Formats: sequence, structure tokens, C-alpha cells
Amino acid sequence: MKKVMLFLFIIALLPLGSALAQDMPHAGAEIVATYMQSGTYDVGAENIEAAFEEATGIELELVASPWAVLNQNHITDLTTGTGEFDVMSGEFWIASVYDKMLPLDAFVERDSFGGDYIPTIWQPGPSGYFDGKRIGIPYSADAYGIVYRTDIFEEAGLSADWETWDDYIATLDQLAMHLEGSDIAPSVFSWGASEQTPSIFLGMYDGYLVDADGNYAVDEESAIAALEKMASLLAYNPEGAAGLSIDESNSVFLTGNAATMICWVSFMRASAQDPDSSLVVDNWAVAPFPGPGFPFLSAWNLFISEYSENPEAAWEWVKYYINPEQSTQRFVELGVGSPYLSTYEDPELMAAYSHDFPGMVHNLSRAQSVPWVFEAFEIFFRNTSELVIGSISAEEALANTLAGWSEVTVPPALVQSAAAQGQQQDM
Amino acid sequence: MLRKPATWHRRHDVPWLIAFVLPAFFIVVAVQFYPLAYSAALAVQEWSLTKSQEPEGFVGLENFVEELGDETFRRSVRNSVLITGGAVILEMILGVCLAYLTMGSSWRMRAVRTTLILPMVIAPVAAGTLWRILLNYRAGLVNHLLSLIGIQGPEWLASPDWAIISVILLDTWQWTPFVLLVAGAAIASIPGDLLEVAAIDGASRWKTFLYIELPLLTPLLLLTLVFRMLESLLSLDSIYSLTFGGPGYSTYTMTFYIYTQGLRNFNFGAAAASSWIFMAFASVSIALVFWFQRKDW
Amino acid sequence: MYSVIHGIVLAVACLVVIVPLGYLIINSIKLPREFLTIPPTILPTEVTFEHYQDLIDDKKTVRYFQNSLTVSVWTTGVTILTGTLAAYGLARMRLSAKILALVTFIFLFIRFYPRVTTVIPFFLVMRQLDLLDTVWAIIIGQLGITIPFVTWLMLVVFQDLPSEIEEAAIVDGASVWQRFSRVVLPIVMPSVSAAAILTAFLSWNEFLIASSVARRKASVLSIAVASFVSDKGIQWGPMAAMSVVMIVPMIVFALFAQKYLIRGITFGAVKG
Repeated sequence: MKKVMLFLFIIALLPLGSALAQDMPHAGAEIVATYMQSGTYDVGAENIEAAFEEATGIELELVASPWAVLNQNHITDLTTGTGEFDVMSGEFWIASVYDKMLPLDAFVERDSFGGDYIPTIWQPGPSGYFDGKRIGIPYSADAYGIVYRTDIFEEAGLSADWETWDDYIATLDQLAMHLEGSDIAPSVFSWGASEQTPSIFLGMYDGYLVDADGNYAVDEESAIAALEKMASLLAYNPEGAAGLSIDESNSVFLTGNAATMICWVSFMRASAQDPDSSLVVDNWAVAPFPGPGFPFLSAWNLFISEYSENPEAAWEWVKYYINPEQSTQRFVELGVGSPYLSTYEDPELMAAYSHDFPGMVHNLSRAQSVPWVFEAFEIFFRNTSELVIGSISAEEALANTLAGWSEVTVPPALVQSAAAQGQQQDM
Repeated sequence: MLRKPATWHRRHDVPWLIAFVLPAFFIVVAVQFYPLAYSAALAVQEWSLTKSQEPEGFVGLENFVEELGDETFRRSVRNSVLITGGAVILEMILGVCLAYLTMGSSWRMRAVRTTLILPMVIAPVAAGTLWRILLNYRAGLVNHLLSLIGIQGPEWLASPDWAIISVILLDTWQWTPFVLLVAGAAIASIPGDLLEVAAIDGASRWKTFLYIELPLLTPLLLLTLVFRMLESLLSLDSIYSLTFGGPGYSTYTMTFYIYTQGLRNFNFGAAAASSWIFMAFASVSIALVFWFQRKDW
Repeated sequence: MYSVIHGIVLAVACLVVIVPLGYLIINSIKLPREFLTIPPTILPTEVTFEHYQDLIDDKKTVRYFQNSLTVSVWTTGVTILTGTLAAYGLARMRLSAKILALVTFIFLFIRFYPRVTTVIPFFLVMRQLDLLDTVWAIIIGQLGITIPFVTWLMLVVFQDLPSEIEEAAIVDGASVWQRFSRVVLPIVMPSVSAAAILTAFLSWNEFLIASSVARRKASVLSIAVASFVSDKGIQWGPMAAMSVVMIVPMIVFALFAQKYLIRGITFGAVKG
């Protein structure tokens, strides 16, 4: 017993000793890093802040802000050249200031950074790129998925191995018959969170998002078909579903009132396995997201500002925050989806998440980010929302969207992102 | 005691009075002048961050023409008029009535008054979120209470018409207290003897209100009206958290539009131009009040 | 009969206010699983104070609270002082109606210009003054909103004041300051209290200016409340708890200011 204690003691001292032994080249530097205030990414950063400061001697200040404020602060800071933030958290929503971010290729190469990223996530699009140079390092990955009730499917003799949305809808029809007379709806989705509706569209739509000239466009025939199909899903939802927010939709599934749910898996996974908040513990699994489109990907990146006075120290933080160990830990402790394959191949986790991982990895490997700036995104989701509540037809929704898009310019970084992910119309 | 003539006093007073005005004038005009001038300059320039990092030059009134012709902008103006119109009318009527009903300095009236101004204390973003959960179609308290008296509640936030009504209700709930507070203070300042005289003359309560109090209250009520109107038009946090402008564009207001253009899409030129269009409207409203007030004197 | 209806109307009005607020308080002591139940959970099966505990444990909450308090106290104090003085000055200066209208108009224009479009230039001004991320940046920004409001409100009040009230004091040789502080101010105290209440509420809850010039050390409670709304949902419990915490100081202030409001009324009645 004593030996074990001594051994543990030495192990505990090792990192400290090696840190002291190393000269700390950036000791004394001060950096500021931003996160979205969400209780996940930001908490993950706070948890390791002290250890990072001790290991590197760098003074780190973390700034967490609500989503809307975060983007606004970044853009204000970069366009006015203030340089308040060294490391910034963001996604393609801030593509209009990508040119103010420091290229990171040299850092990545020098430290042979990268490792076993899920390949799609390490590519332009999910990873921030400008002018062919890497500027962003992804630290989270979540793909849209469909979760389903394994007990109901078993009882009804159904399987969740659909490949297309038509297969999924056929399954919903069978579920509807099986569930007739019960309170359980075949499907649920957060229709009321209108910014979520494009996720279904993107899964159904098979075509380009940027035309050959680099403007926002879609293949009209395919888009109208996808929009109509999307709206038709509402009929399989519980009454009043058109107003459901993300929380409410999750709660419908967790209280056992839906057989399937189209959702961000990372947002329901922890509560679904918690008996305090869920009636479906161990009775659900992640199914493949149907095609021919792709699952919508959310991948937060860390960027380094070109106005940073301490890019080397900033890079130290990027490396410290983003690596397979940290990502796995954030997944386990905070439910943040990991961009690394190793998380999903960890034998212990694989056993604990056998209902979750196979479907999740499948979806992540197919997932793509979109080339939409917020303006283009908003034009689209508001019009699809009008379609969902029955105010306009699919044709009108598309016509309105295209009219709105004609005023919006695609930032060059996002044209490149679209091209890299096969979302641009062929020349 | 030597008595100086009143006119001497008036001249003598002027430096004092100017000194009274200066601090406020300095703080307001000095600090806000540059931002306003900057915004005026942007309104006549082409600058959208997705296209360029720098303003792309003078375009005259093009931004204004574009905004006025923009379908979303026009729709947002229509929504704003509906929401603000509905909310402000309700607030004025309810606020003045409640101000009369809560007159007096008994502890009970004081408690009622304090209770009634509470909604104003809540951060608008929290109030919006609170009402979102209250108005929830399936799990909301409002529809639950309605069902207890046998009414099937509407889909408050998912139907275009009810969503507008929801926003009006929230605005009314949160800001009727403002009218109550200002009108209450105004009523309290009406000299008591005026009303006594009227009572002795045998005027009914209603007539006293109509012919004595209302004319006295009018300047302050008009001011309150314009303030509530412009404030309501400018409100952003509560709509942001209650409906996020939806469903679709149903509750997309002018301020939401300006916010989206300016701080989400970073179309600085467009946002500045629509702000100035808004200010043209606001100016007309303010000028109208001045004109009404003038007539009274 | 009249008093019965009177009572019923006031009771209903109070209920309309209290029920949503009561629900907010209930939400702050609910377990997460009881937020979206059908029908809604009015009496939680289990009361939890974890949301409050989390707030108290977080050092940042204390700092936000201090910042909010500093901002509100300064904004309200400076606004009431300068706004009331300015209104009195403008009312007694015997300016021609046109000039008076113009000055008021400039104030109001600045008051109602959509802040959204001046956020970035205001940010630049504050950077130039080296005030970024300080409570002073927030206070200065808010003063641009509150002073014009109070000035206009009080201007209307002063103009309505019969001039005879001051005549006696003028004859007695009182200075402008003496006339203002000893004669006029006590009479208009109800309006000043009302203006102070309104200013404090506005300043306490203001979000946009605070979020754009102060995101680190000088962050305030209203930003903290907004941060419970994330891109993937709302943390109802903590948000409700934070809202309740935010309301308490304002209720205390409103009660305090109301006392002055009443005193002003009775004083005015004696004088009148």
C-alpha cells in the first residue's frame, strides 16, 4: 500500500518536475482567449486554466460571452484593429474577418500538430481557411443526427438503418400505424427554433450551395423537392410541434413521447442517460442521418488574431486546449463532441456509449459545414420557417430566398470552403 | 431690506442658469456627437463587411433607396407599427386608469403601487424568456390556466398573428408600469385646491377629470406617449428572447432589422441608413408633440 | 359598490403581475426535469437551491453585482443631478420657444437614435479615451440615454409650475440656487423620484452598451442573464435564479424612492 502511494506521489510530481526542468520560453506573456458562455467549452477552458499557467508561466485570461455578443465583439475588435483578444473562438459565421486571422500552417508543421482528427473536420470548411492557408484549429465536433427509441423499434419489428429520407419517412409511416392510439409521436424536431430547419433541408437536398460564379444559389428543382419533403415531416410530430424550441423537443423525446428525434446529439446525450431527467435511459440510440444530403456540422475553431502581440504564447494555449486527451476529457465531463477519432475508439468509452458512437462517427464522417454567412443563413431559415407554418409555399420560399441572396456576397473564404466540400456547382 | 427689481434678477440669473444646463449638455452632446456623425457618414457610403474591410466610397442616397425598397425592411416597419401601436394604446389606457386607482398614501396603496411597477424591474431579456415559457403551447402556464376555465389556448408563439399579440402582451405587461409611474407623479402634482373647488361647485368626478385634470395632465401624458412609442419601437432584447423575430418574419421589427444589419451581418451602410429613416419618423413624432404642447400654452 | 369594483380591478392587476413573477421564483428553485412538464409544474416536488448556490459560489457573480451597482448608482446620481438642473435652467432661461424646442430636439434625437448603429463608433471613442472595459465607459454610454429623458420629463414639470411660487423668493432676494433647492425642488419631488426610479431600472437592465464596451472586468449582471441563452438552448434554472437576484436590489430601491415620492406629494399639498 505504501509503495502504491509513493508511486502515485511520484507520478503526480512528474509533470510538475518536467515543467520546472523545461525553460518556459513564454513565461510572463499575457494572453486573452475567448469562448462562448455555454457551460461547456468555457468551463472546459476554466478547468485547465491554472494548470496551463503553471506549466507555461503564461498569464491567461478567459473571456466567455453569450453567442451573439461573442461574434459582435470579435468583429468589432478585428475591424477596429484593437487587438484585445489573442485567441478567438468562432465558426464560419465570422468568415468576413478571416483575413484578420494569423495563418497557422507554420505552427502546425513545426509542432506536427493535427494527429488523428476525423478527416472531414481537419479540412477547409470545418477548419477555418483563408486564401488556402489554415487559420483555425477545430476543438469541437457535433453533427446533426436522428436518435430513436430502441425499445419501440424492437416492439414494432423495425430497424433504423435507413439510407435516404424516403426510407426514414416509410419507417415513420409504419411507426404511426404501430403507435396509433398512444400519446407517442413517430417523430419530433425543434421546428420552433427556426434556425434549425435548414439542417433537415441540407440532409434532403442533393446539389450545390454556391454556383460556378461564386454566388449563393441552389439547384431549384431539387431544392423545392427538399423543402416540400421537409415540411411534410411536420405531420409526424406531436400537436403544436411548430413552436417547439430545442429544449422542448428534447423534452418530448426524453419523456418518452416520440419514437424518433432529429437533433444535435451532443445536446441531449447527457440528460438522456440521466434518470433524473429522462424516462428513456438505455432505450435509445443514434441512427445514421439519411441522405442524399449531409448532416450539418458544428465545429468550433480557435483562431489567433493577427493583432496578437504574443502569437507564440497564444499557440501554446491552442495546443494545450486542443489535443486528443483534452477533447476526450471534455466529451466525458461536459458532453462536448470530440473532433478526434481516438475518443470514439477508446475501448472503455465504446462500451459505455455503444448506443451512441457508431451512429455518431458515421454522421461525423459525412458531416459538412455550410458556406453561408449569417445573412444568407437567416434569409433561408426565415423563409423555410414561413413555409413550415404554412404562410407560403415551397416555391415562394425558394423565390424569396433567392431574391434575398442576390444581395449577399459570398466571402472568398467560404467560396473556397464550398469548393473543398463539393458544394460548388461544376464549372 | 433692499428690494431689487425682478428684471435685474432675471439678467443676473442667466449665467447661473447656463451653468445649470452645461454639464448635461456637455455629457450628452460631446460624447454622442462623434458616434452620430460617424453614423451619418456611413449612411451615405457603401460598406458591408462581407465585401470589404473599408468603406467603399460615397454612394449618395443609394442606401436609403435600397432600404425603402427592401421587402424585409418594409415588412419590419409594418410589424413595428402593429406591435407598437397595439402595445402603446393598451399601456396608456391601463396606465392612466391604474394611476387613478392607486392614488393615495395608505400603506395598502403603496404596496399595490410597488407591486404594479415590478415588471419594469426585470431585465427585458429575462422577461422575454419568462414569457416564452409562460406562453408555451403545450407546457405553458397561460394555456394551462386557460384550460382550467375550459378554453383551448392558441399556439401563441408559432402562429403569425398570435406571435404579434404575444409581443404586444409582453410589452404591455412590462411597460404599463412606466405610464403608471409618470401619470401617478403627474396626478399627485395637481394642486388639491383646484379639485376641491370643482367639488364644491358640484362637478361630477368624470367632469372634473375631463375639464380640469386632463388638460393639466396632457403635456406629460403626451410626453409619456411619445416616449413609450419610441421606446417600444426601439425594444430589442425582449423580442430577441421571446420570438427571435419569428415565426418566419412575423415579429421581425424595424429595430430587429437594424440590429441584424448592423451587428450580425455587418452591413454598416444599410444599418446606418435604416437608422436615419427611423429617426426621420421619430423626429416627426417628437415635433408633433411639441406642436400639441404649444397649443396648450 | 364602487370600492368593491375598485378592489377587484386592483386585485386582478396585482395577480397579472405576481403570477408570472411567482412562476419565475418557482422556476429558480425547480429541478431541471420539471421545466417543460405537461401540465406545467406549479408546485415543484422537490425544492432545490442549487441554482442560487452556483451563483453565490461563482466569484464572477459578485464582481458583476458590484459593477452593476456602481453603474446604476453613478448613472442615476449623475442623471438626476444634471438632468434636473438642466431642465430648470432651460425652463427659466426665457429662451424663445424655437430655441428651446431646438435644444430639446437635439437631446431627444440623441436619446432615440438606435444605439445599435453607434456601438462601433462609441467603442472607438472609448478606446481613444482609454476607457474600454471600465464601468465608466458603460456609465458614459448610458448617460447619453438617461439625461435627455430626465431633462425632458423635468422640463415639462417645471414649465407647468405656476411662476407665483418663486415670485416671493425672488422678492426676498434668494439666489437661483436657493430658489431651486429650497422652493422648487421640494414641490417637484414626486416627479424627481419617479425619474430616479425609471433611470435606475433602465441602467440596471441595460444590455447593448454594456456588452459592447465592457466584456471582461467590467461586465455586468444583464450580460450574465443573457448568457444563459446559448445557441443550443436555455438554462432555465440559473437564468431564473439570476433574474430573481437582479430584481431584489431594485425593489428595495423602488420602496425607498417611493417614500420620497409620497413625502413630496404631502409636502406639495401643504405648500399648494
